[in-house]
Order: sequence, then structure tokens, then C-alpha cells
Amino acid sequence: MSSKNETLIDIRGLKKTFPVKASVFSSKSIPLKAVDGVNVQIRKGETLGLVGESGCGKTTVGRCVLRLYEPDRGRVWLDPDPAVVAEVEQFDLEYEQLQSQLDDVIAGGRIRGAGQKSRELKNRIRKNRNTARRKAMQQDILSMGPDQMHKMRRNVQMVFQDPWASLNPQMVVSDIIGEGPYTYGTHKGARLNKWVMELLDKVGLPRNAANRYPHEFSGGQRQRIGIARALALTPKLIVCDEPVSALDVSVQAQIINLLISLQDDFELAYLFIAHDLSVVQYISDRVAVMYLGKIVELGTGEQLYNNPRHPYTISLLGSIPVADPEIKTQERILEGDVPSPVNPPKGCTFHPRCPNRIDSCSQIIPVLEKSQDGHVIACHNPPNG
Amino acid sequence: MDNVLEVKDLATYFFMHDYIIRAVDGVDFTLGRGETLGIVGESGCGKSITSMSMMRLVPDPPGRIISGEISLKGRDILKISEDEMRKVRGNEISMIFQEPMTSLNPVFTIGFQISEVLRLHRDIGKQDAIKEAARLLRMVGMSDPEERVNEYPFQLSGGLRQRAMIAIAMACEPTVMIADEPTTALDVTIQAQILRLMRQLKETKDTSIAFITHDLAVIASFTDRVMVMYAGVAVETSTVHEIFKNPLHPYTQGLLGSVPVLGDRKVNADGSRKLLNAIPGSLPDARRFPRGCRFAPRCPKAMKKCWEAEPAKVEVAPGHQVRCFLHHDEVRVISKRDLGAAGKRVLKNQQKISGKKKGSADGSKTDTPIARN
Repeated sequence: MSSKNETLIDIRGLKKTFPVKASVFSSKSIPLKAVDGVNVQIRKGETLGLVGESGCGKTTVGRCVLRLYEPDRGRVWLDPDPAVVAEVEQFDLEYEQLQSQLDDVIAGGRIRGAGQKSRELKNRIRKNRNTARRKAMQQDILSMGPDQMHKMRRNVQMVFQDPWASLNPQMVVSDIIGEGPYTYGTHKGARLNKWVMELLDKVGLPRNAANRYPHEFSGGQRQRIGIARALALTPKLIVCDEPVSALDVSVQAQIINLLISLQDDFELAYLFIAHDLSVVQYISDRVAVMYLGKIVELGTGEQLYNNPRHPYTISLLGSIPVADPEIKTQERILEGDVPSPVNPPKGCTFHPRCPNRIDSCSQIIPVLEKSQDGHVIACHNPPNG
Repeated sequence: MDNVLEVKDLATYFFMHDYIIRAVDGVDFTLGRGETLGIVGESGCGKSITSMSMMRLVPDPPGRIISGEISLKGRDILKISEDEMRKVRGNEISMIFQEPMTSLNPVFTIGFQISEVLRLHRDIGKQDAIKEAARLLRMVGMSDPEERVNEYPFQLSGGLRQRAMIAIAMACEPTVMIADEPTTALDVTIQAQILRLMRQLKETKDTSIAFITHDLAVIASFTDRVMVMYAGVAVETSTVHEIFKNPLHPYTQGLLGSVPVLGDRKVNADGSRKLLNAIPGSLPDARRFPRGCRFAPRCPKAMKKCWEAEPAKVEVAPGHQVRCFLHHDEVRVISKRDLGAAGKRVLKNQQKISGKKKGSADGSKTDTPIARN
């Protein structure tokens, strides 16, 4: 498919911090860096998997894409025009420079003309931000105003983790599924009804489900309702936040199959967030591995599984028991716990647990580097070349 | 291998207001010395109730062990008094729970909670018990155990809490340890650490472990024998190699087909996306299990017979028992279970309700927590 190479979503420099209280009685808060500079693209019709242990920021990335959390920094381009992206990138670069100049002036203290200069700089920064926002507004989800957001939400939908909590218990299924099309006016009256029935067929629910309430369904069926709701506006991207982890193994397989077959019917792209690497590897075209708010490795499922290059991915794969008693996995067990994101280690955040660390790991933050086959890692000293 | 634990025809029912949940209904297994038995099944299949029955921790009311025999080193622990059971619990048979946060007491230090077990079962002073607790914490791989004994559960991470749980369970060097989903709440890298620790302890102390989980991959890497449960009954029991290589029961086959294996090919020969072999349908309602084989409604190979009678558990190959008519013809004869006064009460309530609202016999469909558990 040629359309697979067009970028649908381009996440750049995404950052999100949450304030946490320094201690129970303190009024001070310290920032917890949940997502710390994530860059990733999702192509049309593609499934991008996002894996990592709890607290690595994978859910936050998914929620930031829909602005369910308001990110601090970064841009999320939807259907981007490369010219606009490049232009805004220039403005962002200029902004960084101006900001650092301003910091210098402030650090210089109260010297002659400092006040004048800082005022000038602040003015230029404000102008720069305003122009950048105006230019980015149509395509950057994070710069959009309410009207654009309303339009955007048609294209990006979400399936939530907990099917017991994500459906309104007071609404019947047809209202839950039909609310989106009703609000957007895409289907009205009898046509809306027909569309809901069609969706129920698609997700494998009986048509008489339409007039029942969520509590009458099992976990797997509820997740199907959630998927039908996400599909109702025929979006281009569905963010699936751990859609199968609350389900039983046999039901989990049904939902995975459903998601795969819907992708072909609706030409969907998925951002598939899960902690279970075997599920992610199964459903995804490309997989990004996250550790403490950063992507450490990104590659196709095969690349990641057959040739993992980041030490974290290698030990993650080594930690997963294989469902075959004949295969004894190599014991590559990581020691220690994931460090607290409030106070992450300096340099590469993985270095305290890394079996391959070298001196520079504790000093310099590694950046993502692409190899020729499109396999991306952030590591100073990747094992086996 | 001599058997340290033998469970025969265990049945645990829950007597609710107007219905009975047959949570465990005929489970038999043995556990040899130093052996690990995996009990695998989906939620609601009765695996946790089986383990709670073994500890005699089923809340009564509403739950009651209706029939069965659980002999620990030749002694039936269902027949002994509660006082005697207290001496067994934690001493000869102990348990690791799933949620290390909710099963540790938040207001006592880790050291206190470990020493409590020791002081209950052994003649040991308070100070010595704390010292012993520190030694146990070192054994489960905690750094600075002398300081950790004074810490509270909230100060520890999930993995460390589970290590503390294991220390409590191992404190009296029990013969049998029941691990009820000990790694489900943990991340994979921490899970690997905990499994390695349990494997080391098992080998050095020769403890028998009943390992309950829904994760087939953990079963494959950790256990010697496997019992697969579905809707309160054990459908297949065999060695771990047999189960994975030659599963006989359609449910076991379906379960194995449902799990994506890392590195599996995702595309068929004709270029279409490969789908998982999912089991259709969902788990039956615990209040009204099907009359015949409980898996029949979801079974791709169900025959007429399956809907009418329940298959017996038959040993079809040495050490390989299966409960399915595809492999034998024996019908299960359920011994008459004495439901007692609680059963009569439920029956009376049932009649009262069905008399009251005729027509809407189906009743409400809300799940009780126990039906889902």
C-alpha cells in the first residue's frame, strides 16, 4: 500500500510534567517528568505499538495526542503539510534562541539596560509565539482553538483500558455509540439508527444490544461497545490505551482479532499502547519502546524481536517468559526497579540498571539515531555493534 | 515422588440469597515434594477459591466447602478444628497473595509482620524474631535488611513488597506454598526477578508450590505439572510438556491458540493478516452453568452428548487426565452433595421470588462480585 508511507500524526518534542507534592505536608510541588521529549510518526493505516513498564509515560503520550492531558511543550501534527511544519519549526528554533538570550539577560543581574533588553526580548518572544500558533493552528492539535479541536476530534478517537469504567451506565448502547454521529450531524434520524446497527454488526454484537445498558454486558462485550463508539465517526486514528489488558486471555484474542479486521475495513491507524510485548508485537507494524518518559528504541516488530539493540529492549525481551516449556529463555534479568520519574538519573535514565553502561552514559543524554534499515535507538554503547 | 498434598473431589459453593454459585465443583490433584503445580484458568474459573479452600480461608457465610478431602502429609485438614488449623496455616502451608499492597497491613512494619508469623509458630523472643526477619529479608534479596525491617509497606516498591510477602510465606519453611497470581500486578522485569527468586527458594528449601496464574507463559517457564480449570472444574491435568505439546481438551487448545507468541509470523501465505485462534463466546454465568459439559457452549467440537452429560475425569495416558468426551466415554457421576441448611434456605428464597414475579423469570442480570471473581 502506497498510502502507508504518508504521515498521519507527527509527534515532535512532546513534553508533559505533572506537579507532585514534595511531601505529604508540604505546599511545594516538584515536577514529575511523565513524558520527556517524545518524537514519533504514525503513518496512515499503520499500527504503532507503544510498550513500556508502568510509569514510563506511554498512556500520557496517548492522552496528550487527544489533549486529554494538556502537554507542556511539543507539537502533534495531524495530516501535516511539510511546508507548514518546516516553517513553524523555524519559529520554534528562533523561540529557543530568544528564550536562552532572555535567560542570559536575567542571569546577568541588574546591570545597565538589562530591563530594557529583557522587555524587548519578551516582546519578540510573544510575537514569535503568536505567529507560530497562527501558522500551526490548522494542523497542530496542540495549537488548535475550540473550533478546530471540535473538527479534529472526528478524526482521532480513543478506546480506553477499563471497560467497566469507560461507558456511561445511564445510557443505552445505541446512545453511547450514536452520540458522536448525532453531535457531528453525520447521520440523522433513521440513518443514524441504521449506522448504529451496522457498527454493532461490525464489532460482533447482536443488534438487540442497542437497547440495553452497559451493565448487561461482559467485559469483552463492553470493550466491543467502546470500539464501536470509537468507530462511529470513521476516524483516521484510534488511540487504544491498553484495550485488552483488563480482559481474559480467550476474550483478549477476540478483541485483537476484531481490531485487526477493522483496520482493513476502515483504513484505520492505531496508536496501540500496552505493557504486554507479545500482544504489541503481534498487532503492530512498528513498535516504540519507552523507558522513563523517553523512547529508547523504535523499529518494526520483526526488527525489535529478532534484533533488539537497546539494552533495555534486550532485557525486556529476556524477562518475558515464553509460552513453550521447551524453550528456556536466556536469563537476562534486570536488577533493581524503575527509578522515580520525579528524580530520574542523570544522563541516560537507564544507566543504573544497564549491563552495558560506559562512563559517558551517566553524563550525556543519548539521542535517537536512525540506522540504515530504519531501526532507531538511543544508546551510547549498544551491545553487539 | 511422595505426595505431600492430595486434594480429592473438592467442592466449594457460595450460598447467596436466592442462588448458589458452584465456584469449585470437583477438583482433584496431587502435589509431590518439591514439585510445582500450575493452576491455570481465566477469571471466575475457581482457581482462587481452590487456593482459599486449601487454606480454609473461604468466608463462611456465604461460602462453604461442601465436599472433598484435602490431605496434607496424610492428615485431612478439612476435618481438623479451627484451632489446629491455625497451627497449620502459615506453618505447614502458606500463601502468597496477588496484591502485595492490599495483603500487607499498612500500619505495621515489614519486620513486625514477618516476626508475627515466627512468634506464632515458634518459641522465639521478640528481638530474635526481628533478627530472624532481617535474615529472611536478606534471603529474598532485599538490600539493607536491618533497616528494611523498620519500614512500612508504603515505603517499598511493588517488587520489594512482593519479596516481603514471600519472606512471610517462607518464614516457617512450609511444606506447601500457594502462590495466587504472585506476579500479575508486577511489571515484566520485576516479574522475572520474583520468579527467579521463587525458583531458587524452591530448590534450596524443597518446597512444593501450587502456582496459580492466568499467564500461560509463566506456567511454561516455571511449573512441572499443570492443571487447567474452567468454570469450577479441572478439565485437564498433565505435565507441562504434555499440555503445551499435546493438549487434549478443546479449552486447553483454545487457550494456547489465544496467546500471541513473540516473533510469530503475522501474515498468512496469501498476504492477509493472520488472526489468533480465539475461543468464541464468553465465560458462562457462575449461577447457571450449562447442564452437560460446561465448555460445550463455546466448544468448536461439541457433540450432542456434551450438552446432556458431564464427562468424567479419566486418565487417558500416564499422568494425563482429561475431562472430555472426545477422549473417552465415561460420564461423571456426581456424588450427592449435602447442601445443608444453607441450601434449603436458598431453595426457599428461590421459590418465593419465582412465585412473586412470574413472567420475568430471568430476573436481574447484575453480577455479584463473587460471580465475577
